[in-house]
Amino acid sequence: MKDWIFVSVIGRDRPGIVASVSRVLYQNRCNIEDLSQTAIRGQFAMILIASTLKEHVFDALKEDFRELAKELDLDIHLKRIRPEEMAPYDPGEAEPFVLTVRGQDRPGLVYGIAEILAERGINITNLGARAAFVGGKQEYLQLFEVDIPKALDLDLLHEKLRQRGQEMEVAVDLQHLEIFRAINQI
Amino acid sequence: MLSSDEIIRTIEMLKNENLDVRTVTLGISLRDCASASAQDLCARIRRKIQKQAQDLVRTCERISKKYGIPIVNKRLAVTPIAAVAESLERDDYLEVAQTLDQAAADVGVNFLGGYSALVHKGFTKGDRHLIETIPEVLSSTERVCASVNAASTRAGINMDAIWLMGQAIKETSLRTSGRDGFGCAKLVVFANMPEDNPFMAGAYLGYGEPESVINVGVSGPGVVKKELERAIQSGKKLTLGDLSEIIKKTSFRVTRVGELIAREVAESLKVSFGIVDLSLAPTPTVGDSVGEILQCLGLDSIGVPGSTAALALLNDAVKKGGAFASSSVGGLSGAFIPVSEDLNLSAAVHRGYLSLEKLEAMTSVCSVGLDMVAIPGKVDAATIAALLADEMAIGVVNHKTTGVRLIPVPGKDVGEKAIFGGLFGEAYIIEVRNINRSSAFVGFGGKIPAPITSLNN
Repeated sequence: MKDWIFVSVIGRDRPGIVASVSRVLYQNRCNIEDLSQTAIRGQFAMILIASTLKEHVFDALKEDFRELAKELDLDIHLKRIRPEEMAPYDPGEAEPFVLTVRGQDRPGLVYGIAEILAERGINITNLGARAAFVGGKQEYLQLFEVDIPKALDLDLLHEKLRQRGQEMEVAVDLQHLEIFRAINQI
Repeated sequence: MLSSDEIIRTIEMLKNENLDVRTVTLGISLRDCASASAQDLCARIRRKIQKQAQDLVRTCERISKKYGIPIVNKRLAVTPIAAVAESLERDDYLEVAQTLDQAAADVGVNFLGGYSALVHKGFTKGDRHLIETIPEVLSSTERVCASVNAASTRAGINMDAIWLMGQAIKETSLRTSGRDGFGCAKLVVFANMPEDNPFMAGAYLGYGEPESVINVGVSGPGVVKKELERAIQSGKKLTLGDLSEIIKKTSFRVTRVGELIAREVAESLKVSFGIVDLSLAPTPTVGDSVGEILQCLGLDSIGVPGSTAALALLNDAVKKGGAFASSSVGGLSGAFIPVSEDLNLSAAVHRGYLSLEKLEAMTSVCSVGLDMVAIPGKVDAATIAALLADEMAIGVVNHKTTGVRLIPVPGKDVGEKAIFGGLFGEAYIIEVRNINRSSAFVGFGGKIPAPITSLNN
């Protein structure tokens, strides 16, 4: 039976981190099943799920990664996971939307929006925030991809987001994901 | 994966540039309503429209809300009434028109197209009844729109129909003199009339169309203008070829939105999806104007030398972008130049940049024709008919659709303004030169034969 292992790696970004992590996995006969990596402002972060058919690999892997973490000054964490833990969150009957927040940066922007989403059981499937040039001036931009349950009253949500945007002095827009796909993708 | 630039760009298009779905038009076949009894026919029409269209407005509103895209108009297009009511007598046509008006009101749509006849080769009894009753119908109903196909590239121009329509326009104008001849805004005379046009007043359900069908009209002059402005302000050296490319890409995006909405409306209503008509249809709002696009292309005003070339560029780029975006592009698809519905065009008339002759030249390269043009009330029916004939000739010879919506404004003359309201807008009255000089030509009647290029089989 397959064993599933979740690995997270965080540290100062530089060449060689992915090579080192994947070497350890390969040497322990692990296969990378899913992986996501990003870097912001010089900080590297990677999460992955690996599988193995070899028994007792977890302890050996943990030891190898402990040495690697020390050698490269990385935070590496391992966790055994059960197959049922890998099922994505099921939002039920839902539609995919993109929520954008634009304006001057200030503390509490992400929380201000995420709080509204959390209260309504809206799951965030993707989230990014960065500074961007819009119409020649710099703006802080947040992009939430969310699944909105069909049962939710969209008008009320729009109104709530509009109010919150006014309070925080940012523009908040909610649009169906399909519109972005239709307009931008062939 | 969407980039943040794509997302910002899309939000701008939707929020600030008047991107909307201009019309969702449900086509309904009334062929099975035909009857020798007016009472029976009207009852059948009522039932059928109620059954097919009762959910149209609600469905459009739901889908509009879901995607955050306004669907400005919900409309109906029906089988040409001249065919449906063929067995009836003249006066019965008025009852049929009243029934259509009421049925449209009952399902909450603002217009119903199809008080129509196709007479490019000749008339049936029903066609004559229909044309005779157009002035009464347009002056006594709110929602019914009339159209007559008087010419085609295959058949030539039916000059008898053109003369009748010249008189019908004149009479309709007089019957609605209290509203600046507004009745004529609901009447189009066509050459090569498309069977799937979702835009009023020329929408009808063609004989080759299915039992019921959703056709959608997408607009977006504002979006095109903003894209052009952005490119020009970037300071890059651009040629007209580059600008054409920008228009093409923008049309692609706009068409994709229309198709997404149309398919979902059709699926929800369980009817066929027909076509997306990508037409740059202006509204009387600053920033939503075809005239302003021509100004972006470097002309002081629509109507000055260069306007026909610029409009040709625009029309072609719109069609190419639309054709790449959807395999179901139809209707008129191109650029409209309706004078009263485009503030910029109306102003160009007032300032003397835009003349009737230049408008006519431009219709040889745009997707429609002399549209929503307010002319002096004194212009006689024969001159109107001759103007119709000129426009029909442009369509017939160039294998394209041309439509004419001329509005003689009773009691008003050049320099005065006609006010129609809403999307119909308002227009300064344009000069018609050389009136009362064409009646002998029109009086010959008969047919102008089809051009040699029609023999292409």
